[in-house]
Amino acid sequence: MEETTSGGAAGMVALPPTPPEVEKTMNLLVAIDDSDESFHALQWVLDKIILKQGSVSEAGTDPRQSKVVTIVHVMEPLPRYAFPGGYAVVESASKALEQNASRILSRAFEMCREKSLKAKTLILEGDPKDRICRAVEEMNINLLAIGSRGLGQIKRTFLGSVSDYCAHHAKCPVLVVKPPPTPKKT
Amino acid sequence: MNCVSYNQSTGILNFPQSTSREQNQQQTTNLVPHPFAGMEKSVMVVGIDDSEQSFYALEWTLQHFFSPSPENSQFKLVIVHAKPSPLTAIGFAGPGTADVVPYVDMDLKRIAARVLEKAKEMCTAKSVNDVTYEVVSGDARNVLCEAVEKHHASVLVVGSHGYGAIKRAVLGSVSDYCAHHAHCSVMIVKKPKIKH
Repeated sequence: MEETTSGGAAGMVALPPTPPEVEKTMNLLVAIDDSDESFHALQWVLDKIILKQGSVSEAGTDPRQSKVVTIVHVMEPLPRYAFPGGYAVVESASKALEQNASRILSRAFEMCREKSLKAKTLILEGDPKDRICRAVEEMNINLLAIGSRGLGQIKRTFLGSVSDYCAHHAKCPVLVVKPPPTPKKT
Repeated sequence: MNCVSYNQSTGILNFPQSTSREQNQQQTTNLVPHPFAGMEKSVMVVGIDDSEQSFYALEWTLQHFFSPSPENSQFKLVIVHAKPSPLTAIGFAGPGTADVVPYVDMDLKRIAARVLEKAKEMCTAKSVNDVTYEVVSGDARNVLCEAVEKHHASVLVVGSHGYGAIKRAVLGSVSDYCAHHAHCSVMIVKKPKIKH
């Protein structure tokens, strides 16, 4: 004999265990780097999680408003000992890294713009694993999306480990996006 | 009175079909055209067991992906409970193990029924009605990965520390295994620890 209410009124039933602080905005953090897999992860998140433009929802609420997407790229600091050429070489190398980072982020921003989504971009420096987990805490993130195999070519041996580390240590739910299955060549 | 029947051959718990009254109510509440009419919804599989963490994961998923308007959600929800086989649950083979097996089996079935009841409660409280519930026997790792294949899921949601008290020693590894071996994206939801 229940009377169900139509529309967007949130259920007032208290269920154990209830996640605390029912927020209306969902802060998503998408970690990307230079690899294809992380861009695929971003595209996947945009396709599946962000509702498509022009969708009609009940009571005139815009579902897209409730999701805030931040794209983060973590630059690894250059090992100082690897450059015998002096300070100038290190300077230009870090400049190149920064340019690379902004190129990556602008590409990501373009992808978001196609979905009419204003994403925030962020460049961080340091060890990717730690930085991402710290960013999650500092920015009060609700969901971290990270591509599996998300590191560049050089570090591919340690690849799985960034997504792995974040899956274990991040304080928020983690979404690990796998690359699309490659067609097997006979 | 909701009667849950356990089908031993298929290992699926049967819930009574929704009454016509519920169906009528559902039809009248949709006053705007369904935005996803004609579009195939992606499947989201949520793996649950008897632990608090996995119910937290389900609650989190319902809150963030299925509310406030469950009809507009992009996902079709499938809830899978992996029922461990009695032998793995017992863990040791000693004299009298054979006698204990049927009791353990009954206990596990009861736990499975209870888990699904609670999951169903949580879903209906959030007005999410288009849910498939499954109980499959076997190891959680394989069960969840197979469920992903079977339903062609695009996301698998697991709680961290999602296995029961008996396997708690190897806990993190179910979500870990799924994160590496499932053929879809995996969302690992952790219950936040309260810091003092």
